[in-house]
Parts: sequence; structure tokens; C-alpha cells
Amino acid sequence: MGRPTKVSGASAPDQAAAQSQTLGSYVYGIVRANAKLPSGQRGLGDPAGEVRLIQQGEIAALVSDVRLDEPLGRPDDFYAHERLLDALAAKGPVLPFRFGAVLASADAVEEELLGPHHDDFLGALNEVEGHAEYVVKGRYDEGTVLTEILAESPEAQALREAIRGKPEDATRNERIRLGEIINASIEAKREMDTNLLADALTGLFTQAVIRDPSHEQDAVHLALLSRTDEQERLEQALREFGQRWEGRVTLRLLGPMAPYDFVVAQA
Amino acid sequence: MSTSVQPASAGAGGGGGPSGLADVIDTILDKGLVIDAYVRVSLVGIEILTIDARVVVASVDTYLRFAEAANRLDMTKSEKGLPDVIADAKGVPSQDKAKDMIQGVVEEAGDSLGELTGKQRDPAAEAAESETEVEVDRAHQGPPKRKFRPKREEG
Repeated sequence: MGRPTKVSGASAPDQAAAQSQTLGSYVYGIVRANAKLPSGQRGLGDPAGEVRLIQQGEIAALVSDVRLDEPLGRPDDFYAHERLLDALAAKGPVLPFRFGAVLASADAVEEELLGPHHDDFLGALNEVEGHAEYVVKGRYDEGTVLTEILAESPEAQALREAIRGKPEDATRNERIRLGEIINASIEAKREMDTNLLADALTGLFTQAVIRDPSHEQDAVHLALLSRTDEQERLEQALREFGQRWEGRVTLRLLGPMAPYDFVVAQA
Repeated sequence: MSTSVQPASAGAGGGGGPSGLADVIDTILDKGLVIDAYVRVSLVGIEILTIDARVVVASVDTYLRFAEAANRLDMTKSEKGLPDVIADAKGVPSQDKAKDMIQGVVEEAGDSLGELTGKQRDPAAEAAESETEVEVDRAHQGPPKRKFRPKREEG
């Protein structure tokens, strides 16, 4: 409350107040007060609100108006949320909010969000300065990994022979057992390969979080907080790993993104 | 095989990226700062989406699928013609199937989303809550060092 506050952007706050029954302030994240918004960026919701900054002291909330009587969660809403945050993360520090944070009004954003937490947010912004999140995703090639597993497990081999040419119904138990072995083997390989890759990338990230796999054939799912000026070296290191794993694991690197995995709300 | 750097939301507009939406959902639905007690805007279908986007719990179906893939995998190269062998060895057909499956899940969820959006017109202005709690977890306290956090147990 005590800090000087102003609302930047084209939309008139008075108008918003008149519509306060139906409009809320969707919060994307926190940035520095002097952050530059990408031009022409629309927010989420329908109609898409104009993205603006609500500044207070040295920080600002990245917001747009949303209608409170319209549910959110269409694919376009997800894209809008992430695109905006990632665009800002490429230029400066951002503290991303989880999808779906809405406050009652611009006043509430100032008084309930920015005011009480100004120093915490500023401290966190300083910490992520110069960094962005990168996500490494690797997927096993099914044929290659199965061949590996069969070669390593005599039991799997035997089970495979047992079900060969036989109808599924007649070999259900053997199939389940074989699938179980394969699944467990993939889990073990995933752990090994994830650690192998993380070791190889040592020095190229400040922090890492092993994400839960998002697919049963995931080889690696790793979120890295890295310096943006190290991005090229990170890409190069992954390229080398991609060659080493050619035909076995398909690697993808996503980023730079806002540090979603590194500003986790405490339970 | 190939490594490419792309924004996580690549392929969004063009509708090209096969797992674009899945990647985004993966990232923004359960990560990032949370504020307690904000205005409740109904988030339609998100629960469903979240669950579906994380279909990784091994089930009997998974096992049976793996077993069938192993069954089809021709290591002796004796029973099939060459093209089949090559296709199998590269895991091409099954991989595509897996991809389709995942996409199917997401698209399906998207569909039910649409349905729900139509129906659940929750007059969601369920009272502006007053208190707002924000917790910032300084993910990188202390000196920069390699640190793995344990997987979060949830959902």
C-alpha cells in the first residue's frame, strides 16, 4: 500500500473497476518493474485480455483481465500462458506462476500479492537473473531398447520364446511377466541414463530437477536451470550425447523457458 | 538421434508439433508459484488433463503392450521379409502407435474439455478471497552446485 504504484498499459483501470463483477486479474508471473513486454502480446481467455504490468517498487506482476464467468483451460490458454512467460524469460528474470492464478482485481494484485511479498519476490528475481530453464527429454527407441533388454535377461528371452506364435489368451501370464520385466528394465535404464547425462552436463547447469517420466518409454526427463549465456555449450553437449545415443534415444532440448521447476511452492 | 532446441510451445500455432500441448501441460499445470486463495475461476477439465497427461503408471495393459512389442521384434530375421525386419528393428510401427496413443489421450482430454466448457458455466466469481499466501521456494539456496531433488510425490 505504502509504495508508489501505477498501472501501465492501455486499458483504463476505471473501466475495469466498473466491470469488477465479471473481470479478474490473471497473474502470469512476477518480473522486474522495468521489464519490457513483447509488443502485441495478448493474454489468455476469450476475449484475450491485454497483457500489462502492475508495478510496485522494483517488481511488477504480469497480468491480463479475464472474465470470471468463463472457465479457463483451453489449449490456447495454456499456450498463451507459457509463451508469454517464456518470451520474458529469454530477456530477463521471471518467476512463473502455476497456470490458473486469478486475483479479484488490479488492487488485489497490488495489495495482496505485490505489497506483502515485494522483498521475497525481488530476492528470487535476483537469484534467477541470467538463468533460464531448459528441459531435456529423451525417448527410447522401442526396438533398440527391447533388443537390449532381451539380450540382457535370459528370463525375458525364455518368456518371449514361450509366447511366440501362440494366441494372446493362452499366454496371458507369460505376457504379463515379460511386460513386467521390460518395464522394470526400462525404469532401471532410465535412472542410469538420466544420471549419465546429468553427469556429462555437469558445469552446464546451476540446478537440476529430475522430472517424473511423462511416457513409459522415457529415457530422460530433466529440468535444468542454466545460464542463458551457456546455452550454446549446453546444446553442443546434448548434440554429442545425441550422437552417442543415435538410434537408441531421441533427445530433445526445450528452452529457454521460465524457471517453472525452480520456483516451487512449498506445501 | 537428433537434438533440436525449440521453445516448449513450438508448433502451437501451426498445429505441427506432435507433443507440443503435452509438453506445455506438463510444465505449467503443476509447476510454478502458487498463490493460495485467489478468485476461483473454474478451470475446466484440467484435472482430467493432468491425469491423462501423466499416463505413466505401469498397468497390465502396458505390460501386455510391451510383451507384444517384444513378440513382434524379430531378432532371428528368419520369419519375415526384409522390409518387416527393418521396420521392426527400428521400432517404427510400434513407436508410431505409442505416439498416437499419447496424442490420442491429449486430444481426447481436449475434447472433453470442450464439452465441459460448454456445460460447466460455473458462475465462478465465487467470492474474491481476501488473504493471499505466496510461498517462494528458493530453489537454489546456497552456493550453486549440482543438486537433485527427489521426485515429488503427488498425484
